[in-house]
Amino acid sequence: MGKILVVEDNEMNRDMLTRRLVRQGFTVVSAIDGPSGVAMASSEMPDLILMDVALGEMDGWEATQLIKANRTTARIPIIALTAHALASDRDKSISVGCVDFDTKPVDFGRLMGKLKQHMGIAA
Amino acid sequence: MKLAAISAQISSIVDWFIHPSLMNDRDRVNQARVFLISHLFGPFLGSAVPIALYLLDPTPGFEVAVLAASIFGFWVFPILLKKFGNYNLLAILSVENLIFCILWSCYFYGGIKSPTLPWVLTIPLLAFFYIGPSTVLRTIVIALFAINMMVFLAVAMLASPPVSDLPSTDMEWLGIVSTVAVALYVTMMALYYAKVYESQAELEAEMREHLATASELRRATTDAERAGAAKAEFLAKMSHELRTPLNAVINYSQMLLEDAQDEGDEESISDLNKIHSAGQHLLKLINEVLDLSKIDAGMMGLYNEDTSIADLIRRVSDEARESARANGNVINADISPEVGMAYLDQQKIQQILSQILDNAVKFTKNGMIGIHAKKIAGPEHEMLMIEIRDTGIGIADHEISTLFEQFTVLGDASSSKYGGTGLGLALSLKLCRLMGGDIKAQSRLGEGSAFTIVVPNNARDLETQGSGKTPEVAGAASVPEHTLGPVAVAA
Repeated sequence: MGKILVVEDNEMNRDMLTRRLVRQGFTVVSAIDGPSGVAMASSEMPDLILMDVALGEMDGWEATQLIKANRTTARIPIIALTAHALASDRDKSISVGCVDFDTKPVDFGRLMGKLKQHMGIAA
Repeated sequence: MKLAAISAQISSIVDWFIHPSLMNDRDRVNQARVFLISHLFGPFLGSAVPIALYLLDPTPGFEVAVLAASIFGFWVFPILLKKFGNYNLLAILSVENLIFCILWSCYFYGGIKSPTLPWVLTIPLLAFFYIGPSTVLRTIVIALFAINMMVFLAVAMLASPPVSDLPSTDMEWLGIVSTVAVALYVTMMALYYAKVYESQAELEAEMREHLATASELRRATTDAERAGAAKAEFLAKMSHELRTPLNAVINYSQMLLEDAQDEGDEESISDLNKIHSAGQHLLKLINEVLDLSKIDAGMMGLYNEDTSIADLIRRVSDEARESARANGNVINADISPEVGMAYLDQQKIQQILSQILDNAVKFTKNGMIGIHAKKIAGPEHEMLMIEIRDTGIGIADHEISTLFEQFTVLGDASSSKYGGTGLGLALSLKLCRLMGGDIKAQSRLGEGSAFTIVVPNNARDLETQGSGKTPEVAGAASVPEHTLGPVAVAA
C-alpha cells in the first residue's frame, strides 16, 4: 500500500491514527515533533506525510517548509491536519506547500479518500 | 387655530419664492425666509411714508415718486430670488436700496433732523437678519452703510438740501406716521425672527435626540457584535475540545468493532455498534454547532471550484443509497444533460444536499426520492436549481414555517423515532445563503415534501458584484410556499 509518516505530538491521536492506518495495510512511521518529523522525512522517505500543524516549538507549517526545501524530500506529498477548519489555516497550509488539508480529529473515512487520491491508490 | 392656518399659508407663500438651490442649507433657508417676509410685507409699512408725504406735501415732486419707486422696488427682490437664487448679492443690493430710501427721504425732508431718520435703525437689524453670521458680508454691509452716510453728509454739506415747504405741524405728523410704521415693521421682523429661531431650536433639540439615540444604538450593536464574536469563539473552542475525546471513542470503538467482526463475537459487535453510532451522532451534532458558530462569527470561508453537477449528485445519492434501501426507497436522479458544470463550493453544496437527501430518506418508507437539477435564470445571474422530492410522511403546515429554525425536529415523537440533531436544516439554509442562494420547502402531509435549493451557478457572479448579500429567491425564503397549488409530490 505504501509508507506513511505521521507527525503528531498527541499520543492518543498518534496511536489511533497509526493503528488504523496499519489495519488498512499501510506501513506507518511516526514522529512526535517538528524536528524529528523533518529528520524522518529524509531517513524514511515515506510516500506521504500526515502533518499536525500545532506541534509546539516548530510547528507543522515550518516543518513542511523545511521538508519542501530539501531536494530529496521535496516531492513527498504532505497533508496538513489542523484543529480548526478555518479558512486562514487552509490557505496557510496550501501556501507552505501542503497538497491537502484536513481537520482534527480526523474523519477516518474522509482521510482515507484523500490518502488514496494523493498516493495514487485506486479506491 | 385660525392664526395657525394663516401662518401656514404665509409660510407656504414665502417658501415658494426660495430658489431650489438654497433648499439644502437649513440656515440659508431661514435667512431667506426672513428676507422674504421683510420684502413681501415691508413695502406695505414703508409706503406709509411716501403716502403721508403725498398727502401732506402741498407740492409733492419727483422726490416722492422716487421714494415710492424704490420702496415698491423691494417687491422685485422675491421674484429675482425665485428666478436666480443669487441670495448674497440680492441681500446686499436690498440693503443698499434700503439705505438709499431712508437717506433720500431724510435729504429732502428735514436733513439730519428728518422725522424719517429712525428708519436708519432698521438697516443693521435687517441686514444681520438676512446675511447670517458671515463676517465678510457683515463687513460689506457696515462699509456700505458708512459710505452711504458719508456721501449723504457730504452732499448735505456741499449742496444744502432743498428747504421743504412742509409746514412744521405736518412735519410732526410725518414723524408720527414714520415712527409708527418703523415700529410696526421692526416688531413684525422681530416676531418672525423669533418664530424662525424657535422652530430652529426645536429642530436642533430633536436632532440632538436622534443623534444620541443613533450613537446609543451603535454602541449597543457593537456590544452585541462583540458578545456574539466571543460566544462564537467559545463555541468553536469548545467544539474542538469536545471532538478530540469523542474521536477517540469513535476510532477505538471502530477498531474493537473490526476485531469483534474478525472473531465473530456477535454480542460485542452489537454493543460496539451502539457506542460507535452514538459517537457518530454526537460528532455530527458538534460539527453542526461548530459550523453554525463559524457562520455566525463570519469565519466560514467559501472554496469555489469547477464542479460537475452530475458527479456531485451521483456522489450524494450513492452515499444515501444504502440507508434508502434499508427504508425500501428508490433514489431516482434526473439530471438534464445541459446542466454541466458549476463554479461553487463543492463541499458545502454537497453538505446541503446530503442533509436534505438524508431527511428525505429518513422520512420516507417504501417510496421514491427524486433528484432533479437544472439551470434557471435568476434575477441577476444564472442559478443552479436542485430539487429533492420524496413521497414520505410530509410536513404539517404549522411545522413547515419553523422547519429551518435551529433545534426544530418535527414533532417530539419523531425526534426519537427518526433521530436527527435539529440543526441540519438550519445549517443547510445558512450555508446556502452564505453561497448567495436559498432553500424553499413545499409539503403535503401524507403525500411528501419537496425541497428546492437554488444557488448561483457561477460564484464569480457574486464576486464581480462585490457583495456577499443573499438574493431573495422568488417567493419567501425560509417561509415556504407550502400553499402553492397541487404539489406533484404524490406522483
